[in-house]
Amino acid sequence: MLDRLSLSMRASHILVALLVVIALVFALVAWSTGDRFYLRLATEALIFAGLALSVDTLLGYTGLLPLGQALFFGFGAYVSALVLREAPSFWTAIGVVFLSTLVVGLTGGVIASRARGVYFALISFGLAQVVSKVVFNIRELGASDGLRGIPVLDIEFGLFSISTNAPLAFFLFTLAFILLLYALAAYLLDTPFGRVLIALKANEKRVPFLGYSVFGARLAAYILAAEIAALSGALYPMLRGFVSPELMFFAVSGNAIIGVILGGVGTLAGALYGSILLTLMRSIVGTWTEHHLIVIGLVFIIVVIFLPRGLLGFVRPRLEAVLSRRQKP
Amino acid sequence: MDGVLSYIQFILAPQMLTGLALGVAVVLVALGLTIIFGLLDVINMAHGEFYAVGAYLAVALGLAGINFWVLLLLVPLIMAPIGYALERGLIQRVFNTGEDRHVTTLLLTFGLAMVIEELILIVFGVATMRPATPIPGAIQVFGMFLPNYRLFLIAFGLLVVAGVAIAVYRTRFGSMVRAAAFDRDMAASLGVPVSQVYALTFALGVALAGLAGVLLAPIYSVFPTMGRDFVFIAFTVVIVGGMGSIVGAVVAGLLLTQVQAISSLFISPVWSQPIVFGIMVLVLVLRPQGLFGRLGHA
Repeated sequence: MLDRLSLSMRASHILVALLVVIALVFALVAWSTGDRFYLRLATEALIFAGLALSVDTLLGYTGLLPLGQALFFGFGAYVSALVLREAPSFWTAIGVVFLSTLVVGLTGGVIASRARGVYFALISFGLAQVVSKVVFNIRELGASDGLRGIPVLDIEFGLFSISTNAPLAFFLFTLAFILLLYALAAYLLDTPFGRVLIALKANEKRVPFLGYSVFGARLAAYILAAEIAALSGALYPMLRGFVSPELMFFAVSGNAIIGVILGGVGTLAGALYGSILLTLMRSIVGTWTEHHLIVIGLVFIIVVIFLPRGLLGFVRPRLEAVLSRRQKP
Repeated sequence: MDGVLSYIQFILAPQMLTGLALGVAVVLVALGLTIIFGLLDVINMAHGEFYAVGAYLAVALGLAGINFWVLLLLVPLIMAPIGYALERGLIQRVFNTGEDRHVTTLLLTFGLAMVIEELILIVFGVATMRPATPIPGAIQVFGMFLPNYRLFLIAFGLLVVAGVAIAVYRTRFGSMVRAAAFDRDMAASLGVPVSQVYALTFALGVALAGLAGVLLAPIYSVFPTMGRDFVFIAFTVVIVGGMGSIVGAVVAGLLLTQVQAISSLFISPVWSQPIVFGIMVLVLVLRPQGLFGRLGHA
């Protein structure tokens, strides 16, 4: 017998599975028409969906709004780029990103996790501003130009390898990678640790009386979100061959938040849907008018006012009802 | 000794004066931001865009032949009803959704900022504009050239700050604002029309941002993203001074712009922004409520 939260998580899994089916159909169509452009765009959309996933683990589960989550996305991208320029190996890059993010996430978490509500949002924002301006000014990191000339990689799997230059293969690889991050987040947030986070969001003062540490749980959630953002960011230089300080700017953090709100806060699957939908909307509206931000801004305002739980907040409860009916007999 | 004096006379003092003019301007923008936060609990992400709209209105109406001195009054009078309508039509809608009000209103104004910035782009295009300085020339004091308009800006800005402080602390409307900020329900049960006060306060904040736009257009150029660049500093001021504190906004505004001005004498000016944001993070960590207390709470 599943409780309500596990049931919701199962509903999210089904929705993600649906997303994978859509992605595979898209990949098939793109492959049969010999497309490159849309495959690269879709890969980028998936990478940024990873950032949105990271925002949702914080906003959806602890209720903390990370206004500067792009900090970790950009950090992952820069570390990955620096490693790849020296030693072009995927696994080394991912390993270094993982370990360094553990340290940086812990540092940022100790600073930010003491604050609550709006102060957390502002600290997160401030940290991202400081770091992005510093990176913007350091000539060794390419300053405003960023780092260029990241070589094309062959990701070794022993039996076979995937080239980052092959659009279809790298798209499928990125899809699997982001799914892995989703599975990791979904698993951890469905454990007792995840329940503590949800309890924190509901009533922070009562959690210590139940014997749990507020600071510890929040710090762990912060590091988890930092890892998801950084690991997604690590794929960026492999796709585009460069990184720039813009990756840490507020616009990137803001976009991830828009994606999460659009898709549905606290559903994880919604972050992926919302972020991909946003990229889609951007490129479709972008072909009609260069002022596509006005459309996105208006859609965003409408969602915040009329659909505060996002698209999946609308779809998922219905799916949950179906699931619980199937379970009863 | 002579070297020190001439350093102060020709480098330090002019730099500090420029910083002071910027500081007064930042305070004007931060003032609206902090009042809106103190009363409504709304982090107005669109505040910088209201400032930009004020500046663009000043340019457009100035080109239509309207005198600068008239604009100082006219633009805030145009902006206030816009602010009032936005608060009633948009922001008040998400007040009682049950979600965290900070987050929803922040998101809402964030969307609003995107829309306003694009509207500016559509109406005025990307070109940078700069209206003529209404008070040209400079006076010479102790061998230092002091541009007249900057002196006027400092004096006028301080006057506006004093006016707002009097309005908040010495008028009937001000006591309603402070009462509603302290305890919304209690104020409502004592007969304060709270939602009306909210809308009017938001309108006041927006009018102040518009006024700052008019005042600053002749010094800093007018361009579509001007609001975004400026509001980050204003946010920092509000956070350091204490969210919702008027005194805090003034003190932190003048202090941080002086830090920026003086630090850029010693190290490259590109580092002044990281320093200011670093101070903000430090204040948030050590004293999250800021240097001074909240509106209505002291």
